[in-house]
Amino acid sequence: MNQHTEPANFEDRNIPLDAPHPLAAQFEAITKEYTLDKVKVRALGGISGAIVQGATTFITGPSGSGKSTFLNILGLVDRPTSGALSLFGEDVTRLSDAAAADFRSRNIGFIFQSFNLIPVLSLRENVEFPLLRHRMSARARRDRAAAYLEAVGLGGMMDRRPGEISGGQRQRVAVARALATEPRLIVADEPTANLDSRTSREIVALLARMQAEFDTTVVICTHETQLIPPQSPVIEIIDGRLA
Amino acid sequence: MIWKIAFRNLVKNGRRSVTTALAIGVGGLAALLLGGFVTSIWYGVQTSMIQDQGNLQIYRNGYLEFGAANPEDYTIPDWSAAIALIKADEALARDITVITPRIDLAGIAGNAATGNSKTFIGQGVVAADLDRMRQWDGWGIGQPGTPTGLPADPAADKVVVGLGMARMLGVCEALAVPDCKDAPDAGAGREADPAAAEYTDLVAGDAELAGLTEQGTGLPQLNLMAATTEGVPNIIRVEIAAARAQAVRALDNAFVMLPFDQARALVFDGSPEATAIMIQLTSPDRAEAVKTRIQGLLTDAGMDLSAYHFTEVDPTFTRIFGMFAFIFAVVSAVLALVIVFTIFNTVSMTVVERVKEIGTIRAMGFRRGFVGRLFLAESALTGLFGAALALAMGIGLSRMINAAGVQWTPPSNATPLTVQLMVLENPVFALSVALFLIVIAVAAAIWPTFRASRLNIVESLQRG
Ligand SMILES: Nc1ncnc2c1ncn2[C@@H]1O[C@H](COP(=O)(O)OP(=O)(O)O)[C@@H](O)[C@H]1O
Ligand SMILES: [Mg+2]
Repeated sequence: MNQHTEPANFEDRNIPLDAPHPLAAQFEAITKEYTLDKVKVRALGGISGAIVQGATTFITGPSGSGKSTFLNILGLVDRPTSGALSLFGEDVTRLSDAAAADFRSRNIGFIFQSFNLIPVLSLRENVEFPLLRHRMSARARRDRAAAYLEAVGLGGMMDRRPGEISGGQRQRVAVARALATEPRLIVADEPTANLDSRTSREIVALLARMQAEFDTTVVICTHETQLIPPQSPVIEIIDGRLA
Repeated sequence: MIWKIAFRNLVKNGRRSVTTALAIGVGGLAALLLGGFVTSIWYGVQTSMIQDQGNLQIYRNGYLEFGAANPEDYTIPDWSAAIALIKADEALARDITVITPRIDLAGIAGNAATGNSKTFIGQGVVAADLDRMRQWDGWGIGQPGTPTGLPADPAADKVVVGLGMARMLGVCEALAVPDCKDAPDAGAGREADPAAAEYTDLVAGDAELAGLTEQGTGLPQLNLMAATTEGVPNIIRVEIAAARAQAVRALDNAFVMLPFDQARALVFDGSPEATAIMIQLTSPDRAEAVKTRIQGLLTDAGMDLSAYHFTEVDPTFTRIFGMFAFIFAVVSAVLALVIVFTIFNTVSMTVVERVKEIGTIRAMGFRRGFVGRLFLAESALTGLFGAALALAMGIGLSRMINAAGVQWTPPSNATPLTVQLMVLENPVFALSVALFLIVIAVAAAIWPTFRASRLNIVESLQRG
């Protein structure tokens, strides 16, 4: 990565070396209830814990156990019914819609199961897109997008559209897009569920590599435990509770 | 980027975009053509009236309100003094092309040969002046006024009658007027009408008239009887030079246009009175300023006269234009409604298809307003294309219609005009229509867009 596109806020993060486990997230008795046809469904039944900074944490558990619900709350696109959440030391439990959006744009990157690229934009434009929210020149945006596409190994096809590339490639673009804003936290909900097993391993490896290279924090939610590298921090949720 | 996304989505949904833009375009086209027609009426009817009456008219104070009941009390006492006063003003010289007196009169007209008689409504005009007025085409719309048909000599004893008048007097055949047939009983003298009977008596008893010898021109002779301002019955004999259709049937059936001096001799007995002074201007835009200036001159000179715009004197234009403006407004409202529904539908469909994209964009940290702008931009672009389409089709089609030479007779005219839709000739209107199309395209998208921007992020992302 050349000087120009060096992630700008390395210094900002300024993690003290003596801090044993700086925390990306702390959560306290998080519950979530959905109301479906007047019937209350309890998706999360009180989850407490923390996620360390500078690692790739996995959230596992069977389908329907509440992984996505938890990840959405962690990513500030959903609110817990009760409980408290702080991200990077900031209490984010009760942010307004706009404040949560602002927080996400500065601090959180998203990777989705079905890639969710904007079909009418080229790969480079897709990666540029979240940068529209940032104060940057068009030129800087373009360069930044190119650099991250380069980093995920797609530097040669930046002008293609999402529809013209494979699923694995699309998820790489999504990874580049999540990285481009240089967020402190990247959340990935079943990022490999739509990919074959080889590509799945590649994507998980890519995410781990990017996490290390750009010194960010990644949380991956997956029900495929075989994808989890040994020694990884894992949070297991079963029926809305930590296992 | 917003516009790029908007444009590419429009291209992606090509058929739907084209359909929506076409709906806007066709709606706009209808508005443009109708507006072009109304514009041509605006210019055409006013041109007709300016050719006929001038832009401004001067009357004795009170004439418009009370003159109909006893016109003799509301005449301009000395028209030549008023005209001289206005002509002497240097500031007005540039603006005024024609200034000429007119005498309005009414009485009984009788065919000297057959004894046929009926009431008439007359105008005594200076034919040379009026013919000059009728050539006016200040807006360059190429609408020629018909010449009066009177000889230039103000003392000539020739008159022009309405077509209906000619028919009733039984002079159509004598004048060889096309499309004019004499009334079946026009040849036989009628005594049923008491006024006619009175007239017959008068003709018989009028020594002066009796002394008039038959002239040898071969034109039909007409006796015109009216009361002078002193209330004395008076009568003149003239020749009918031509018959000309008048716009309003009631007037056409009674109309006589006669040389100014003849009218003067008939009703004013030679005194310098007139009913009105008509003033035609180089440019209608100057009417208000000139009117104010003239009113000032008249008041300063102590003349008991007022200047009016022709629309104040004769509400025809205001009514015709008001009617078409109303039709235009109603049609436009209906068109706008159709366009609003179409766009509402299109945007709603687009939003439903892109719920997941909305969720994704929101997750990436964009606020609700950004989502709103994304969809509004798309609608604005659709509106822009629709407006461009409307303009292109409007210009093309109006050219074709104008070239086709379709004829119509506006309510103010006696003779048909070629339909000339003025679309580009009224750029302010054409651009307003275009702008309006874009505005309603955006306005119609506001509600579905607002809902889109408030979608729950998680639920949007869960959508397949
Ligand atoms: N938007 C929603 N409305 C109602 N119930 C929901 C909604 N999202 C998830 N749930 C329910 O919450 C529970 C947890 O779902 P989820 O977090 O998606 O599980 P996982 O991601 O582990 O498969 C499930 O029972 C699911 O049906
Ligand atoms: Mg899930």
